[in-house]
Amino acid sequence: MSAVVSKIREPLVTGSKTYHQITEDLVGPTEKTPSVEWIIGFIIALSCLGFGVFSIAWTIWFGIGSWDLNRTIGWGWDITNFVWWVGIGHAGTLISAILLLFRQKWRTGVNRAAEAMTIFAVICAALFPGIHVGRAWVVFFFFPYPNTRGPLWVNFNSPLLWDLFAISTYFTVSLLFWYTGLVPDFATVRDRAKGIRKKLYDVLAFGWTGSAKHWQRWESLSLILAGLATPLVLSVHTIVSFDFATSVIPGWHTTIFPPYFVAGAIFSGFAMVLTLMIITRKILNLQDYITIAHIESMNKVILLTGSMVGVAYLTELFVAWYSGYVYEQFAFYNRALGPYWWSYFGMMTCNVITPQFFWSKKIRRNLNWTFALSIVVNIGMWFERFVIIATTLARDYLPSSWSYYVPTWVEVGIYIGTIGIFFTFYLLFTRIAPVVAIAEIKSILKAGGNQYVGENATHHKEHAH
Amino acid sequence: MNNNFTFEGKQKSILLSGIGLGIVCMVLTFFMGDHGAVRFWSNFLHNSVFFTGIAYTALFVIAAFTTAYAGWFIVIKRIWEAISLFLVVGLVLMMVIAVGLWMGYHDLYHWGIHGVADVNSETYDALIAGKSAFLNKGWYTFGTLAIVGSWIFFAQKLRSLSVAEDDYTVGDYGIHKKIKVWTAVFLPIGAFTSSAIIWLWVMSVDSHWYSTLYAWYATASWWVSCLCLTILIILYLKSKNYLQGVTVEHMHDLGKLTFAFSIFWTYLWFSQFMLIWYSNVGEETIYFRERMDNYPVLFWGNLALNFILPFFILMRNDTKRKMGSLAIAALVVLFGHWIDFFLMLKPGILHTQHYLPGNHGEAHHDAGGHEGAGHGAEHVSDAVAGFTMPGLLEIGTFIGFLCLFLFVVYTHISKASLLPKNDPYVEESLHHHS
Repeated sequence: MSAVVSKIREPLVTGSKTYHQITEDLVGPTEKTPSVEWIIGFIIALSCLGFGVFSIAWTIWFGIGSWDLNRTIGWGWDITNFVWWVGIGHAGTLISAILLLFRQKWRTGVNRAAEAMTIFAVICAALFPGIHVGRAWVVFFFFPYPNTRGPLWVNFNSPLLWDLFAISTYFTVSLLFWYTGLVPDFATVRDRAKGIRKKLYDVLAFGWTGSAKHWQRWESLSLILAGLATPLVLSVHTIVSFDFATSVIPGWHTTIFPPYFVAGAIFSGFAMVLTLMIITRKILNLQDYITIAHIESMNKVILLTGSMVGVAYLTELFVAWYSGYVYEQFAFYNRALGPYWWSYFGMMTCNVITPQFFWSKKIRRNLNWTFALSIVVNIGMWFERFVIIATTLARDYLPSSWSYYVPTWVEVGIYIGTIGIFFTFYLLFTRIAPVVAIAEIKSILKAGGNQYVGENATHHKEHAH
Repeated sequence: MNNNFTFEGKQKSILLSGIGLGIVCMVLTFFMGDHGAVRFWSNFLHNSVFFTGIAYTALFVIAAFTTAYAGWFIVIKRIWEAISLFLVVGLVLMMVIAVGLWMGYHDLYHWGIHGVADVNSETYDALIAGKSAFLNKGWYTFGTLAIVGSWIFFAQKLRSLSVAEDDYTVGDYGIHKKIKVWTAVFLPIGAFTSSAIIWLWVMSVDSHWYSTLYAWYATASWWVSCLCLTILIILYLKSKNYLQGVTVEHMHDLGKLTFAFSIFWTYLWFSQFMLIWYSNVGEETIYFRERMDNYPVLFWGNLALNFILPFFILMRNDTKRKMGSLAIAALVVLFGHWIDFFLMLKPGILHTQHYLPGNHGEAHHDAGGHEGAGHGAEHVSDAVAGFTMPGLLEIGTFIGFLCLFLFVVYTHISKASLLPKNDPYVEESLHHHS
């Protein structure tokens, strides 16, 4: 490794770490008893999860009528939450796959946790199509297989079915990618462990020995999975957007939806990564691996994708006027000034206006600001999906069908439940696996460690060109 | 290492004769006698939009890469700077269109027809009247001047800072910091204004039709063309022993970008097509109906040139690292995107000829009649050169514009060192491994 690194690049690993210290710092959290903060967090998360399970059981037992959906507004919080979670699940694979292909070394600080979030967010998302159909016991009808129901097949022409394929493919590839990265790290944990713990991690590490052949195969597999995952990052939310845009409903049928959904997904995904990483780095003392420079980079991605979403909102508004099509014009008039004006206002403020604070370098590098704004972005992206779904449906072509919708406690309970699922899994993950990829951090140490690069480098390069 | 490109007399004369060929072709096209010189004006618009947009994307990508801390591209940065300065010529070319609009020299835009927003006029069109706050001569002229003018401002600012950096020996990267501020400011301005300019220049030739994705789609087309031209210019300069710091690693990366953005362009093409096809709303499908019925070879050829060929040629590692295959892919895709813009513009412009006073529907099948070939060509199933497919005159015009573009780019390349030697990332770029 004789990487030439510009003097003005900030180091990616601070604290003049040695390889051994990296192992100590990153494996440490899995070897100690959990802290009080962790236990309190886990209890809260588990309670939310429990309430979610209760609300889902309520839905299945009493039927979908326990939600406040009606004939006009057939999709409400359920699909809003579904799209919201799928969107959050985008940053992980973007960081691991696209940033790997673009050789972005800063990805190593956050890729592991972001990939884990992807998996958990997709699990939360996948829950909603399963229960919103009402009869959860026949959801296997979703899958196309030769069956005894006569010529009754799934509708291959429906984007809802494409969604099933897209999300299950995405989930599979993301899981493989995540696990592939974990294998050498599990081996590191195993090598330090004793007794039953050693046996368990031995199973998880698939007999990794760290031989040259293992690394070689690991590298090629990572690259192949990155190649597969890159189009998937685009395809998943593209197909989610098709659920709406293939219709002829004004406000849903617009060609910008595919790329704009993808930009929005990355936007919310990075916001969630920031929310979690700011807490994680503090509790697990990872400030040397997830530096302020990492946070600043992620804030720039948020500023970029937030502005792209802003361009798309304004494009939609402009083209609605430009179209000369009264229904289109009404749909957007209704969004901004109709009964759900507050959600449109929330969406615009949280997604377009507040991220503009990140133009300031001070704010980009300020943890409190970043934490607050990352939550604001997640609220905004939830509003966006609610605006698209409920606001559009509330004003049917027939004014006699116009309606308004507020969720029942059951719908809110399921949403809280998914947040519980997400955090329960995430907290367990921080106990089981190294939150930062050990092998990958080590691979960039000489090109990113503060003793090698940056203003205060002590190991200067001997070779001069 | 020779970092100072000399624009030799021989190269100048070759390019000047190419420009001459273009002028001859345009003069011939003008006097070929189609009514209203539709063929001449549409070719002029087509090439002006194509090359101006390429210059814009070069500026945008400098801004994007600089803001993203990219280091690898520094050795080719001067090429993109030179390309971005073509915007000055682009503005002049687009102003010719604007002047033509005011003077009534051409009928490229349905909304530009006299009386189209006047309810008492024979040419009144209710839909266009509703859009006339945006689609009008004043806004076309002012928008072009203001938007391209602001791009020129940023292009020249970034160029002058970049050149000044060559003599800046203080070592505190002060100029680089300034460049970063200007590039960051340009990004949102460039992103918003390019959409507006594409609606004005390109989408509005089909004045009734609209698509929210259109601006991003056209921008992707420009950007891939810019990448192809960059590859070809670098390969030429390298063949003359310049740009020795640009290694196979940089070419590999440019190949990867061409590959990736060809797929991205296809993704946008497919998204737009699929959503319109699936929903089957007549007002929207007419755009593709027109192109699939009357331009079938170009319509499907567009996908072959811009997706299938680059996808298969550039998929392998070695084809991106061998200059022959890379050059072939770049040539194919550059021409492919020129065809893409042909398809975006010509059908709408030809269709507009129906709406001219005296050209009402009755005369639809009167190909070659007094309305001229342009009007009739839209409805005959045979290919008509210059209208439903590019003819020799279009190719000649393209060569003329391309030579003008290269002439301007080489002139700017020769005015500064090819290596921004004081850029903080220059060593990274010189030692780049992909």
